[in-house]
Amino acid sequence: MPGNIFSRLGSLQFSSPLGWPLWTALAAVPVGIVALYFLKLRRRPVQVASTLLWRKSLEDLHVNSLFQRLRRNQLLFLQLLVAALAMLALAGPQMKGAGGQGRRFVLMVDASASMSAVDDAGGPSRLDRAKEEARKIVREMQGDDLAMVISFAGSARVVSNYTADRRLILGRIDSIAPTQETTSLREALQVAAGLANPSKQIGEGVVATAAQITPKLMIYTDGGFPDVEGFSLGNLEPEVVVIGPPPPPFAAPAEGAAPASAGGDPSNNVAVVALQSRKIEEKADLHQVFGRVKNYRSEPVTTEAQLVRKRLDQPAAEGGLVDAVALEIPARGEQAFQFDVPEPGVAGFEVRLTVKDSLPLDDRAYVVVGDSRKARVLVVSAGDRYLIDAFNTPTITEKADVAIVTPEEAKAEATARDIKGGRYDLVVFDGWRPDEAPESNALYFGVFPPGPAYESPRDVEHPAILDWDVAHPMMQYVRDLSLVYVAKARVIDPLPTGATPLIEAESGALAFVAPRGGFLDAVVAFPLLDGTTPNTTWFRYISFPLFLFNAVQALGGGNGSEDAAPAQPGRPIVVRAETSSPTIQVAAPDGSRPRTIERNPQGAFVDNDAAAAGLYEARWDGGAAPFAVNLFDPRESDLATRGLVPAGAPEGKAESYKIKIGYNPVEGTRVVPDVRRDWWKLLALGALGVLALEWYIYNRRVYV
Amino acid sequence: MPAETATPLLDPEFMHKLEQLELVSKKVIVGRMKGERKSKRKGTSVEFAEHRQYAPGDDLRHIDWNAFGRLDRLFLKLFLEEEDLHVHTLVDTSLSMGFGEPTKLHYAKQVAAALAFVGLVNSDRIILEAFASRLQAGIPNVRGRSQMWRIVQYLERLQPSGESDLTAAARDFAVKKGGKGVVVVISDFLDKHGYEDALRYLLARKMDVFVIHVLAREEVEPELVGDLRLVDCEDGEEADVTISAPLLKRYNENLDAFVGGLRDYCTKRGITYVFTTNQFPFDKLVLNYLRERGLLK
Repeated sequence: MPGNIFSRLGSLQFSSPLGWPLWTALAAVPVGIVALYFLKLRRRPVQVASTLLWRKSLEDLHVNSLFQRLRRNQLLFLQLLVAALAMLALAGPQMKGAGGQGRRFVLMVDASASMSAVDDAGGPSRLDRAKEEARKIVREMQGDDLAMVISFAGSARVVSNYTADRRLILGRIDSIAPTQETTSLREALQVAAGLANPSKQIGEGVVATAAQITPKLMIYTDGGFPDVEGFSLGNLEPEVVVIGPPPPPFAAPAEGAAPASAGGDPSNNVAVVALQSRKIEEKADLHQVFGRVKNYRSEPVTTEAQLVRKRLDQPAAEGGLVDAVALEIPARGEQAFQFDVPEPGVAGFEVRLTVKDSLPLDDRAYVVVGDSRKARVLVVSAGDRYLIDAFNTPTITEKADVAIVTPEEAKAEATARDIKGGRYDLVVFDGWRPDEAPESNALYFGVFPPGPAYESPRDVEHPAILDWDVAHPMMQYVRDLSLVYVAKARVIDPLPTGATPLIEAESGALAFVAPRGGFLDAVVAFPLLDGTTPNTTWFRYISFPLFLFNAVQALGGGNGSEDAAPAQPGRPIVVRAETSSPTIQVAAPDGSRPRTIERNPQGAFVDNDAAAAGLYEARWDGGAAPFAVNLFDPRESDLATRGLVPAGAPEGKAESYKIKIGYNPVEGTRVVPDVRRDWWKLLALGALGVLALEWYIYNRRVYV
Repeated sequence: MPAETATPLLDPEFMHKLEQLELVSKKVIVGRMKGERKSKRKGTSVEFAEHRQYAPGDDLRHIDWNAFGRLDRLFLKLFLEEEDLHVHTLVDTSLSMGFGEPTKLHYAKQVAAALAFVGLVNSDRIILEAFASRLQAGIPNVRGRSQMWRIVQYLERLQPSGESDLTAAARDFAVKKGGKGVVVVISDFLDKHGYEDALRYLLARKMDVFVIHVLAREEVEPELVGDLRLVDCEDGEEADVTISAPLLKRYNENLDAFVGGLRDYCTKRGITYVFTTNQFPFDKLVLNYLRERGLLK
């Protein structure tokens, strides 16, 4: 680019708005002028009666030598001079420190799973359209404008720092690839806000001025994310460009009719929103694969769910059809399905919907069936007979290898290292807790995990159990808690972020599950023993061993495939590997070369690169563990756009349709408003063309 | 060079009109044979001129016996002799005459044929010659209307060829031809050697000189466009021109100067100059224009 060459000459900078093909064309203009000049020498011979009169009329008859011609032709030099000036003008020379300031653009492109949707069959995907919209802004950038590009899905990625190089930005925008992740606008906004002040940042080749310029924040999205509350945009000036079909015109709800369903506007999508497998206890080697399909359309859908067995060593292969079930899903409703799979070993299955819709990504879901290994459970108890007996039931020992130690033994170095090193899948702490949380899931009885969230518990006496979450995997088949008496408990209020209450009393949650990194902490907020006397009557009821069994099932992760928490694309996934090796291999579903994952400092294997949904397999010497990654995000599957106020919406309602960023609703637009656009470059280009034409005509002497 | 047009040189109707004309010489001329015009010489016509004293040897038939009766002296009665007129027509056949539509040569042939016809009808002596770089042998001397076919045959055979050299041709003519008469030169006068010497040679023979200057339309109003290399058809000289409005203007000025210079030169020396182009209808030229100029009456 000429800009780079010239900028070395001094402080003169060129913000060339032209690409090299155009520059080549421009360079041809002066060459063409000179060429035309020489072409002129080729004259058409014409025979005339006599040159007598012509000779008299000509003064420069014999002035044909090149240099004489050039010397005489001031017009040629004037033309070349004008051409040079016009080209210089097109190069957009700028002196450093001189005057005008450009604008700042922060272009945020949503690359989440829903942006892969194709709204018009055969047309571009939403992401492609978003990129095109972003490119429009870049193309209209002027010489001193800077733009930054951020793509965001589950996490935000700075695609391009602030730069004025439009071709670079365009190339970076092209490089944005669709992901299968969920949408988190908040992180993207944090990145944007952090980088938006150009004075802090040295862009690629461009040192931005420290001037206070309000950057324009363009968000290209389909609105598939929750409002970002409590976030200060600072000096960012947001504008949401909604990609996707506009919402249907506003229809006032009929008098007395039920309010519009929470599902929002219909969209052309049918998705598998949940898929799990479970062993049927009564029948050995028989597993149940069950899930739910959601229809986002406004009319009922008839489709078929196919169960396909995938070979774990050939994840990219098509697999064999095992079973199929016809589904009839009501408009904007859900339908559950279930397959019984006889499976002695470990197998991966895929469930496919045959329906054609805008987003094929969520028409497939994956599940791993079968026990891979026993869970490794460590029980730290001072000698609670009831607890230890419950862990020694055949049902649990079939599922898990249970080691029982006393707190003193747990403090010993070897065991402590095992706990810290992730040797166990689940550690049960009965009335005693370590100073550091273990690198595993944990179940606490009567104590709270270490951490600031649990610092101020409140003592309650005789709490009455009111309700428990039967839907939670930990509470499966637990029915008789209303009979359980608890003498003393300690509750915390409020529960830590992301915690799910399991057992609720009138004074607070008596049991809950809270996430911690890649692990889960289950807490039962009352001790089993008060000294040596029981603190609760729970031991007497069948729900106690059931609860422990569920805990081993859900938290033990021994049969990790049947884990309660599904792994989502783009999220870190803790891979449980029974190996002492520092690395394991993870084979991705696309059949590419297995990736090597190193043990992290905490001793666990965390896969951060599971970007696509599908069946993965972790492999190590002497073992392998498959795991499934699924989208399972109703918000991503819901393709209805958000952020546009439907036509005809009353004034008072309009606000509710807007996307809220910070505390201000931002109305989305579908069309980017025209930005300031300089015309002089086009005019200069035109002048150059006219000049060339003039020279051509001059040489032709087109006289009548 | 355009092919010679097939147009007949003269058509009958036009020839009929020509019969009423006769060639005129401003000078009273001496012819060799008895013709139809008054001569300096006293002759045998019916028109009385004068008397003179008889000298021995005079033809007794011319003695005016009535005068002898009154005056008793012998006088001879002299009558005006009527004589023929020598009409020389010089046609330029150089290559440059081959231009134009119709060609200038064709136009010149038509004029020459018309003049010859007028001369033959009036019993004048017609000498027709062509020239380019030198004078070529033509029809030496024909008389009488019946000889018209020879004239036409000769003219039709003429083709443009060679460079023009007016001076050399005129010198040839002056050396070869004696006597008086009328010389009509039909040419485009586009000769780089100039025309002045040539005309001087002709004048030296004390002949009545008529110049008919023929130019083609493309020489008067050039329709050239663009960057051209003009090639002279006679000597092959090349001239690179870029046609532009100023150049055309200058060409027209030069053309005017050329034509005006020739006319002035002729007028000053008693030469009758007639300018025409190949677009000017030649019958009109002969019937009207040449009469006005006094070549015909």
